[in-house]
Amino acid sequence: MLAPVIPPRSPHAIRSLLPALTLSVPVALGYVPLGAVFGFVFVQAGADWWMPVLASLLVYAGAAQFMMVPLLVSGTPLGTLALAALAINFRHVFYGLALLHRQAKRPLARAYQSFTLTDETFAIVSTTDNHVSPNQLVAIGALNHLWWNLGTMLGVAAGVTLELNVAGLDFALTALFTVLLVEQLRTHGRYGMLALGLVAYTLARWWQPEHALLLSMLFTVTLGLAWPQAASRTRP
Amino acid sequence: MNPGTLDPGYVMAAIAVVGAVTWALRALPFVAAKWLRDHPILKRAQHLIPTAVLVSLLAHAASQGADTNPVSPFLDEAAAIALVAALQWTLRQPLLSIAAGTGLYVLLRAIQ
Repeated sequence: MLAPVIPPRSPHAIRSLLPALTLSVPVALGYVPLGAVFGFVFVQAGADWWMPVLASLLVYAGAAQFMMVPLLVSGTPLGTLALAALAINFRHVFYGLALLHRQAKRPLARAYQSFTLTDETFAIVSTTDNHVSPNQLVAIGALNHLWWNLGTMLGVAAGVTLELNVAGLDFALTALFTVLLVEQLRTHGRYGMLALGLVAYTLARWWQPEHALLLSMLFTVTLGLAWPQAASRTRP
Repeated sequence: MNPGTLDPGYVMAAIAVVGAVTWALRALPFVAAKWLRDHPILKRAQHLIPTAVLVSLLAHAASQGADTNPVSPFLDEAAAIALVAALQWTLRQPLLSIAAGTGLYVLLRAIQ
């Protein structure tokens, strides 16, 4: 999986993997159990062993993959699946915007970098300093992709025999978001955004619980981008 | 349902469709980069989007935890998040913060 990322015989590549590994460990804590739940649930719903594995390899989006399971069981048309994926993952269009200056140089690595921009990968990658190189960002994405697939395979393997109980373990990802948010606030001090985001999410959840995440992000990002612009215009 | 009851061709097509939509959304800004790169709004977006996105992701993750928590929804989540935030603010050890918060949360859910 790392093959397109790391040029052969490059000592730099090996050294650059270490910080990437450290940064991706918290994601592993969340992705392995969560991927396992996905593999387990999908097999229980009637999938062959390779179906969850292929989904985790080629879709690589937690919420969209979980959404697919009941929809596939009920034989939902492909067009409806496409629309559902569009709604669930629309927030991801913001992610690349924040990383335009930190894209990998080589086209294949760049394509793979965009492919791996899950919530958690974006959360980690976008909050690293600029001294973390684009290639290291790609390595973080690749490692997270690996954890997700590892978890899925474990879940598939457990699918027939084991009853998984991970109640509460997936809190590792909630904790990861908390850690990254604390570090963002410490560095950039955008407490207004914190308040705005909390209000936006609360309103969105009350109004449209199914689309709360997307609506909350749309609102916060749009208003946040408009706000400092208005403020800077008043300055001489 | 028993394993192996889904049609392979249908599932492969569905995986291709959902995967393509997802990747298209993630790749769109990268493809549009040459027009966007020098736009002033992106300078702000770089610093603003991560905070905005993280607040929503955190609120959503906590809410989903609360939805599956029949006894004390939002209280357990808030307590564990507060511990993570406090530890991270003072000690700045991400793995310690995450492990302690997850440990507390699993414990709170288990003793109900």
